[in-house]
Parts: sequence; C-alpha cells; structure tokens
Amino acid sequence: MSDAKYFQRGKTQELRAELNSDKRDPKHLRKKTVMKKIVANMTMGNDMSPLFPDILNVMNVSILEIKKMVYLYLINYARSKPDMAMMAITMFIKDVEDPNPLIRALAIRTMGYIQVEKIVDCLIEPLRRCLKDRDPYVRKTAAICVVKLYMYNNVLVESEHFIDMLRDLLSDPNPTVIANAVAALTEISERSENIQLKLNHSIASKLAAALNECSEWGQTYVLEALMYYLPQEQGDAEMLAERIAPRLQHANSAVVLTCVKVMMYLMNYMKNESDITSFCRKLSPPLVTLLANEPEVQYVALRNILLVIQRRPEVLRNDMKVFFCKYDDPIYVKLAKLEIIFRLANSGNVDQVLSELKEYATEVDVDFVRKAVRSIGRLAVKIESAAERCITALLDLIHTKVNYVVQEAIVVIRDIFRKYPNQYESIIGTLCENLDNLDEPEAKSAMIWIVGQYADRIENADELLDDFLYTFLDEPVEVQLALLTATVKLFIKRPLAGQELVPKVLKWATEETANPDLRDRGYIYWRLLSTDPTSAKAIVLSDKPSISTESDNLDVNFLDELLLHISSLASVYHKSPTTFIHHYKPRFLMPSPALQQGSQPQLHLATTSIQAQSEQSVNDHSNVAVNRLSFTGPNPANPYATDFQSIQPTTPGASNGVGVDLLL
Amino acid sequence: MINSLFVINRHGKIIVEKHWRGIISRQIVDVFNDESAKFMKLPPGTLERSDISSNQEAFFTKEDVPPVLESNKYWLLNVLRDDLTWLCPVEKEVDPMLVFEFIHRIIDVVTDYLGDVSEASIRENFVTVYQLLEEMMDYGYPLTTEPNALKEIIMPPTIINKVMTTVNAAAGVTPKFPQNMSNIPWRKAGVKYTQNEIYFDIVEEIDATVEANGNVVSCEAHGTVVANSRLSGMPDLSLSFINPRLIDDESFHPCVRIRKWESDRLLSFVPPDGHFKLMSYRVALSPYQAMPLQIKPQILPTKNGGKFDITVHPRSTDGKPIEAIVLSIPMSKSTTSVNATCNVGNYMYDPITKTVKWEISKLQQRERAPMLSGTFSSSDAQPDMGLTVDVDFKISMYSVSGIKVDSLRLFHEGYKPYKGVRSMTKAGKFHVRT
Repeated sequence: MSDAKYFQRGKTQELRAELNSDKRDPKHLRKKTVMKKIVANMTMGNDMSPLFPDILNVMNVSILEIKKMVYLYLINYARSKPDMAMMAITMFIKDVEDPNPLIRALAIRTMGYIQVEKIVDCLIEPLRRCLKDRDPYVRKTAAICVVKLYMYNNVLVESEHFIDMLRDLLSDPNPTVIANAVAALTEISERSENIQLKLNHSIASKLAAALNECSEWGQTYVLEALMYYLPQEQGDAEMLAERIAPRLQHANSAVVLTCVKVMMYLMNYMKNESDITSFCRKLSPPLVTLLANEPEVQYVALRNILLVIQRRPEVLRNDMKVFFCKYDDPIYVKLAKLEIIFRLANSGNVDQVLSELKEYATEVDVDFVRKAVRSIGRLAVKIESAAERCITALLDLIHTKVNYVVQEAIVVIRDIFRKYPNQYESIIGTLCENLDNLDEPEAKSAMIWIVGQYADRIENADELLDDFLYTFLDEPVEVQLALLTATVKLFIKRPLAGQELVPKVLKWATEETANPDLRDRGYIYWRLLSTDPTSAKAIVLSDKPSISTESDNLDVNFLDELLLHISSLASVYHKSPTTFIHHYKPRFLMPSPALQQGSQPQLHLATTSIQAQSEQSVNDHSNVAVNRLSFTGPNPANPYATDFQSIQPTTPGASNGVGVDLLL
Repeated sequence: MINSLFVINRHGKIIVEKHWRGIISRQIVDVFNDESAKFMKLPPGTLERSDISSNQEAFFTKEDVPPVLESNKYWLLNVLRDDLTWLCPVEKEVDPMLVFEFIHRIIDVVTDYLGDVSEASIRENFVTVYQLLEEMMDYGYPLTTEPNALKEIIMPPTIINKVMTTVNAAAGVTPKFPQNMSNIPWRKAGVKYTQNEIYFDIVEEIDATVEANGNVVSCEAHGTVVANSRLSGMPDLSLSFINPRLIDDESFHPCVRIRKWESDRLLSFVPPDGHFKLMSYRVALSPYQAMPLQIKPQILPTKNGGKFDITVHPRSTDGKPIEAIVLSIPMSKSTTSVNATCNVGNYMYDPITKTVKWEISKLQQRERAPMLSGTFSSSDAQPDMGLTVDVDFKISMYSVSGIKVDSLRLFHEGYKPYKGVRSMTKAGKFHVRT
C-alpha cells in the first residue's frame, strides 16, 4: 500500500463525510486513512482549514500516530483560525498531563508552535510544569519550547522567570537536557537586547563534562555556548581546550568545525607558545578529514581553513598536498582550494606547487585556468627564489596562444615587473607578439603599462601605442587612463618618438571625455609638461612603492572577528555578520587578565556568572560596531570575488589616496 | 537554526515542503531556481567578476552551483543529490556545516527507510517521510537522527510493519517510549537474537593523482569500518588492531569511547543494533609500494586526430587479484571517431560523452600487461589535450594500508558471538593525468 494515492485531490466535503462517518471503526483505521489524506492535501498547498471543527473531534483518539497528524494539522491552520484553536485548548491541557511522557512532550511541543494569544496564555503553567517534569524527554522538549515562546513574547518569558528555569536546567542530571537548555539560552541571548550569556569557570567545566554524553547535535550547542566563556586566569583556556579536544574526532563535521572554532578562540587566552603550537598541531588532521566529505561540507571547510591558516600559520603547514584539486571537484571547491594552496606555498614546496598550477592551467575549466595562471604570478611575487621558474612557466603558457591564458598571464607579469625591476625585461619581446589578441580591459591596461614603463627599451613603443590609441575614445576608462600615462611616459623618455602622440591624447582626455578622473589627470599632465618638464619627469618616472602579497591578507582585527564566527555564513563569505544580518549582536574578543596581545580589548565587562542582566551592555557595543563596519570584507554578491583581487593598492592606475601616486 | 526545508525535483517543482519555524513562502523556490539558472548562465571565465551578465546558453551545470547562494532576503543553502535539490533558505546567521550535516543525515535516513531517495520513492511513502521530518527536528533544532532510535518511533514502510501497525492499533498499543534519553541514545533496550553475531567490513578507498610519467602527485587511503551487529542485550565490545599506529586521523561513531582510543588505541564501545559506521580513518600511503596498479597513458596528437596507448601494470597486492577494473578515458570534445584494440578485456566508445571505457574483469599478477591502443580522429586540427583518466577497481580481502584487526572481546554479556572481518580495497578518486 503506497502513500501516493493520498495525493489525489480530495474534496473537503468527502473528507468530512469520511471523518464523521458513523460506520463502526473500532481500530480507527478509517480515521487514520482520512487523516493521511488530509495531511497529504495540506502539504500540497490545498486549503484544508474548513475541516477544523471535524478535526477537533479526532483529537480525543489516543493513538499516537493519529494524534501526531492532528497536531500537524493544528500547527498549520491554528494561526488562521484562532477561534477554532481555542477549542483545542482543553485537549492540550489534558494531553500535557498524560501518563505517557511522549504525549506530554508532543503536546507541549505543539502548543509552542501555535502562537495564538489565548493558547500562549494557557501555555505558561503547563510549560513551567514540563520544565520540571520527572521525565528528561519532556524537559528537553520544554526547553526548546521556551525559545518558541520567547520569539512570540520576550517580555512574558522574562517576567515569568523562564530564563531562570532554563539556567537551572544547566545542572540537570541528563546531558541532553543540558544541551537543549544551553541551545535555548544561546539563541535567546543572541536575539535579546538585554540578556547576555556569560559562563563562569564552573559552568563551563560542567558543560564540558556533559559533552561526552550528549548527542552529536547537543555537542554543537554546548561547544557553541563555550564561546561565551571568558578565561580569567592563566591555564583556564588550556584546560578547557584540552577537555574539548576529543570532539575533533567526531564523525559529525558540524561538531568538528565548532570545536575548531572554540579552540581557536581559546588560543587567544593562552600564554605559552608551546601550548598553542601543540593545539595547532591537533587541528590539522581533523581539518584534512573534513575534506573527505561531500562537496558542500568541503566548501564550508575550505573557506574556514583559509581563515584559520592566516591566523595560525602552523596549522596545516605540512599538508599542502591534500588541497591539490581533483579534476572532477566542483568549481567552487577548486577555486577555494587554489586560495589555500597559494597561502601554504613556501620556498620549500614551491616546485610542487608550481608543477600543480601548471597542470591546472591546461585544464578546460576557464575560471579555474585563469585563477591558476594568476596564482603562478602571485607566487613569483610572494617567493623571490621561485620568480624565475614562475616566469618560465608563464612564458610557456603564453606560447599556448590560448587567448584568455595569455591575457591573464600578461596581467600578472606586470606585477612581476613591478616587484623585480630590471630583471626579467628580456621577455618583453614575447609579450609584444601577443598584442593583437588582447580584448580584456585589465590585460590591455597591463600591457600598455608595460609598454609605457619600458618605452626606452621597446624600439617601436610609439607604433604600439599608436595602435592602441586608434580606439582610444571607445575604450573603458581603465584603459584610457593607462594609455594617457603610458603616452606621457613615452614622451618624457623619448621626446622625439612621443611628440606626435602626446598632444593628441591630452586633447582627447581633456576635451572629449566625460570622465572626471581622466580629465583631471589629463590637465595635470598638461600643466606639468608645459610649465616644468624637469619635475614632470621626476614625478612621472619616480620609483614606485614596491608590492607584495601582504595586502592580500585580511586586516588583523577583521580576521579576529571572523575567527569568532568560524562555521557560519560570515566565515563562508568572509564578511562581518553585522553587515548583512539584521539585529546581529557583534562578538569581540573580551578582555581578561589572560588575553594575549593581538586583538585590542574593546570594552570591559567584568561580570562572570551566567545571568540574565538588564544592564545596557548592548549599547556599549553599538559604537564599537560602527568602528567595525569600516572593515567590511569584499563584495558579497559573488562568493568567488572574495579576497582574490589583484595586488592592491599599489597596482598601477589604482588610486591609493596620495595625489602623486596617480601619476604612475 | 533551520527554518524550512524544500525538496525540489529536477524541473524545479516542490515535492516536499516542511516548515519548523514559521512559514517561508513557496516562492523562495522560484527565487532559488532563478538564482541557480543565473549562475549556470554566467559565461565561463567570469566567476570572479560581478559585473557581467549574459543570456547565452548555460555553461555551468547544476553540480557547479555553489552550496550557498545569496538572494535578496535569504541565504539559500542547497544540496543536490541524484536529481533532487534539498533547499534550506535561512534568514539569520546559521552554522552552514550543521545545515549540510543535517540534510545529509535526512538523506541517509530516508535512504535507509525507503531503499532509495527519488521523487517516486518519496511520493510513494510520503507520510513516512513527513513523520521522519517531524521527528528529526523541532523548531529548527535537530532532534532524533539516530536510525535506531527513529525506528522505534516510526516504522519503516515494509509489508510486515504495515500489518504490525494494524495489529498494534487494534490492541490500542502505542509505540514504545523511545529509549533515546538513556546515556546510550544509539542503542535500544531489550534486543534479542538467538544467534549472536557481529561482522566488520573494512573498506579502504585509494585517492590518488598520478602524472603520465608515473609520478605520484598525491596518494592516500580513506578507510571505513562498517559493522553489522546482531548481538543481544547491552554488549560492551573492545576491538583492537594489530597496527593502529598506521592511522593518521580518525573519526568515530558517537558510541566509541574516545579517551580509551587515545590512551590504549582500543576501540571500546557499546554498538548500535544493525548496520552502522563504526569509524573512518585516513592513512597517508607511501606512493610506490602502495599503488596496486600502475597505469601509463600515452597520447600523441597528430593533425586532426592522434594515437593513444594505455598499459596497466599490476603491482604487489599480496597475491590477491584486482577485479572490476574500469578505465574511463575522456577524449577531446572534438573527437569524431575512435578505433582501438585491446589484448585483455573489452572497450567501448561512447560518442555522446566522448569517453572510451575499458573494462577488465580480473587481473592477476604475472599476466601479460593489458594494453589498449588505437587512434582517434577529430574535427579540430589541434584537439585539446590534458584530460584525466579515471580508474576504478577493487581488491577483495586486501587492505592497502595494512590495517588488520587483532581481536574483539565482549564484556557484560555471557554469550560467545560469532565474529567476522572482511577487508576490501577500492579505487576512490584515482586519477591519472595524460
């Protein structure tokens, strides 16, 4: 007998007739079948609410399976029929005192869902009783019910002292009850204006002890709550970290990653470097193991690993190989792995990395290939000893003549020229062979920059620029700016070669474009050249600040903030949660005598017992939150866009705030 | 926490809709379909820019859609499995790992109950699925996800159970109160067997990437120990390995006492009843001794086509034959025809996927090395190269890492169970670059 038949669109009259049928139905089999039909119809989106009064009659059937379906129905329609829902109250009150704990729990659970004022009023007393029920199954269900009630009416929950009752449950003998109470308190504290969760040492230890016994999900709640524990003395953090470390071996990846979060947090409060190193060593294997899971889990793990290794470089230092891409990894996994490979690259393993990147650069996946090529260039900038090998690799790739590979390579070669002036210019000839195929603005401006920068070595620089200038007015601003600067450079280096081009370009830039940046730059050059050619030369050809890959790193404070949010959307997008979640309570590394240097103490809150307090601590956060907003991460619209911008802010053409830098 | 779950079929239609915290409009599924279609239509090479939009044909597939998508109001966490998309829209900060773990768990449990997860099987057993979803989560908090505990509350839809339910209903008996509040939530009380037995399957999968010249880029084994326990009462087991130090990292079923493992390298546990995954582990392999097969592909492009040669050399596997070898050799997209011969097994060329599949049912050492050689022609003057050969095989009664069970002891119960251990090594992601 399959359930598919229940999906036949049932007419409500027919269903009602069946429900109220007078035929003998001692085993309630018929009722069960009708209820199944009704539930099926309900989930198909058919309106079953006219049946409300008839369903209420079924409520007194004490067969669990039927009861469950009735409750399901009530949850669905009670809000639209509050008057009808009232009639269910007597039944609820009766069920909540049923001898079977399963039914008591079910009743309190369902009542919590029905957020109709009258029902909520009747919920208070039973809920209070259930929180002290002799059966743990009922107590743990009731704990979650407090959250439901809180979302509906927070004042009520506070005035009826439910928060205190939840706090009492933290000393419950049953670990699952403790876990649910912790989950409820955590969620309430995250939503509340005036309740702040804080765990003192003895409660934190008690929770850590309960960890061993509670369910896997319970473990994630308890671990999450430990983020609200503030170590006060030397050794506190070490001890707690030691106690939770076995969770890293759990089969559930949510448990593992939350445990990583707590350990990363606790490390801020450890003094002894060797302790930190030994905990870091424990983090590596479980992080690698996460990568053996489904791609969704891998993706979340990879985004978080990228944060962890920036803060604690000793983590995964020797595990670079596990991040090598499989050809059938989904694209989002590949791109995330590539970031990590780049971070883990050092002079010891660079040969391996480079040969992998070369392999990737010949794959068919365009986005992946581009990023691989770009990574080779960044590798050259990052590791000087490997620069030459990287250049050779890039030249090989340029010889493939695959258009997007060539363009990507030219962009990174520009950065290499800037990083290592006067070393690799011999390859300019090869680059110039590929001018005609450039059609992406970034590659074009890179090439133009190279031509301008080396105008004195490229014999036909004037011809090359002239070719580019042919379409000047149609180019995007980025290319126009590059052309303007390159032409001026040519003129200063080789006045004869540039004398025809410069007036033309300056005229275009100042008279025929609407872009103010371009116009301003045009005017500045014009005046410089016409009033003081010597200083024009000094300014235009001045030494450029050197570049490094350091600027790829996240801001230290921002990184610390993100690390408090490991295993969250914020850590996947590398974006502060305060910027994309409404009413989000910001988290900080709280000051305590044990806090080590690194993050600056943001504010001082000395209370250490867990308590529901009404002080205005949240208001204290708000101005800090404003400061934090300035550290927002990259544009979240595109998950791949994160932290892989070209080398800023020293890229030619990019403004870094100082007027003179415009004149590269 | 999790608000809602939608299960969507391949045409973007909702099959199951479940809300645990207020109702999210079904329109969110349209938003999801739009967002993922938008993603798939991005032209290749533009993922890292956000400024380009285009209407060309989809380049990316559904598999490429990121597991977290952003829309105006919600974050769309999604998992694609066998044509079904499991979608959780969330509005507030949430632990995505927990959401994905939970979705995977639902899929596992539903598979366990229904035999497979498909649109048809879900529709067939709709009420069971619904009951499971109700039982597995309360107000966004995962509740009971242990198959053993669930089965006490919800009967799997088999004929016998249907009859049982009827009989129970007749007697007015409600199902037993679940024992999941005990300190061992994974085991039910009162289990009885006339014949007590427990079996362990050690399955190791080799993940390896090998270059064309035989250089091993990376290579490790992922092992799992799966058990089938049919033991009465509350047995307390203790399993030891001959060589546990080989293991680099491990994770355990909640029943395993981790402290005991840390101190004595002993697996000490009270098993759940029936099938369960006791542990999984990872072993870094030393590439040259561990590779059961060495595969040498050679592809020589010529104008409008080329030649290829692939040989398979079996390596030491303790004399165990390598079985069910399948090599999938992708050809360039421009390939028009393939001609080949092989001295062992048989090959097939699929002109739609442009893949040559070469199957060898059994390979003993010391046999002549199997070889597949042939030519292909292509519509491109220079067919693209650099494709990766995917290799599959299995070796019974062999564990590549060398892990062996030493002993299994039973406490707390008087009987002597029958014990069995089997090993098997398989190819995981075993890739050979050309």
